[in-house]
Amino acid sequence: MLNGDVMSERKLFSATTLVAMGIGTALYAAFNVFFNILQIPGTQLVAVRPSVSIPMFFGYIFGPVVGFVSGFLGNVISDAISWGGFWWNWDVGNGLLGLIPGLASYLISKEDIFKKKGYITCILLVVISSIVGMGFAAYTDYIFGYGISTIEEATYALFLPAAVTDAINGAIITPILVAAYASAAKGRARRV
Amino acid sequence: MSTRFIKYVEGDSTVHKLDPRAKLTFLFFLVSSLTVSYHIFLVIPLLLISLLFYFLAKLPWNKTKGTWKFILTIILVLSLLNYLTIVLLYSKGPLTEVLTSPDALRRALTPVLKLLALAVATVTVVFTTPPNLYAPALGQMGFPYKAAYIIQLALRYIPEFIAEMNKTLEAQMARGFRPRGGRNPLAKLFSIIPLVVPVTISATLSIYDIADSMELRGFGEESCHTWYRELKLTGKDKFLVIASYFLGAVYITLFILNLISSPS
Repeated sequence: MLNGDVMSERKLFSATTLVAMGIGTALYAAFNVFFNILQIPGTQLVAVRPSVSIPMFFGYIFGPVVGFVSGFLGNVISDAISWGGFWWNWDVGNGLLGLIPGLASYLISKEDIFKKKGYITCILLVVISSIVGMGFAAYTDYIFGYGISTIEEATYALFLPAAVTDAINGAIITPILVAAYASAAKGRARRV
Repeated sequence: MSTRFIKYVEGDSTVHKLDPRAKLTFLFFLVSSLTVSYHIFLVIPLLLISLLFYFLAKLPWNKTKGTWKFILTIILVLSLLNYLTIVLLYSKGPLTEVLTSPDALRRALTPVLKLLALAVATVTVVFTTPPNLYAPALGQMGFPYKAAYIIQLALRYIPEFIAEMNKTLEAQMARGFRPRGGRNPLAKLFSIIPLVVPVTISATLSIYDIADSMELRGFGEESCHTWYRELKLTGKDKFLVIASYFLGAVYITLFILNLISSPS
């Protein structure tokens, strides 16, 4: 078993969780700046971003709040770098991509997070987070009338391309990140 | 430095001189007002306010043309897409009548104008606010200093991680990895994908060292925190804050009145 203070045992605003939020945000923003260019033709600003696995991974390892902050702030900063502005509802949607995998700490025991059961839970939560997060972003665009005026546009031009690409990227890369982290942290004192 | 990554343009316009807290308050109420605007006649004044805010910032065209190209492309694509989906999916009757129907035009344009107003306001705030003032501004707006510190920390580490990506790519190339595609920009992007795992893992492992060094310096011991950059509200800042509250109050009242008068 890997030792240490896993997920729920940490204080919400301890130095470790604060730094995890800052590092998660910086990593997500740094990768997004490059991947924001990979726009899917025919959609509205939906990009193929393997980097979505970063807030998902941070959520799974450090808990839902760290995951949410990494996704939310990382997206705000990367949008500010890429083109100079930001859309709040897509930032919240990206926050949800990190928050939902963080719920793993309430669903499985800390001994299981790096075992088969943990990886399956991780993949399931990643797919759910892609549907919920991108669903929130796409349909709030429709509900509040940000740029689109029909539910079909929200579904076909925003929700489906964003949710499907994020779910595939997340379901492949996040368990790899978790496994790599488990191996790298093995034997290190005070590491998860 | 992190500041060169964020699209900040130096200047001495009225908007540049405004306190970041006043600009963030204005942005908050503008976004809230846009969110509750249900008619094109309510969106147009907000768009005009956003454009006034942008023009007062006197941003040079050569520094902002890339952003404008991006915004105008989205606006053009969305306008056409909205118009076509409304005309083809929702309208009934002869096509020539439907294509020129004022209702279809209004329904296609309203969300696009909302998006334009939102984009213009956020762009102006980002282009006119030095990135090193976001954390002190949030801290001095009453946010817990630990929450404001996350932004400071993130902006501090973005350039480090971009440098780390280059270092990792060079290390992989030294071991025989050859990114394909030569000067093709898309191939260069694809060469970043194999960096996601090593860079993320090395960054995650560094979290504990950074947290340890912060704790050793007493971070988090005191509940009160002072900021090196102390911000002061001037008369113009106070005016913008009051005007923002007024704008928000008017739009939210109109929204509630509309809900009461037409609950359907």
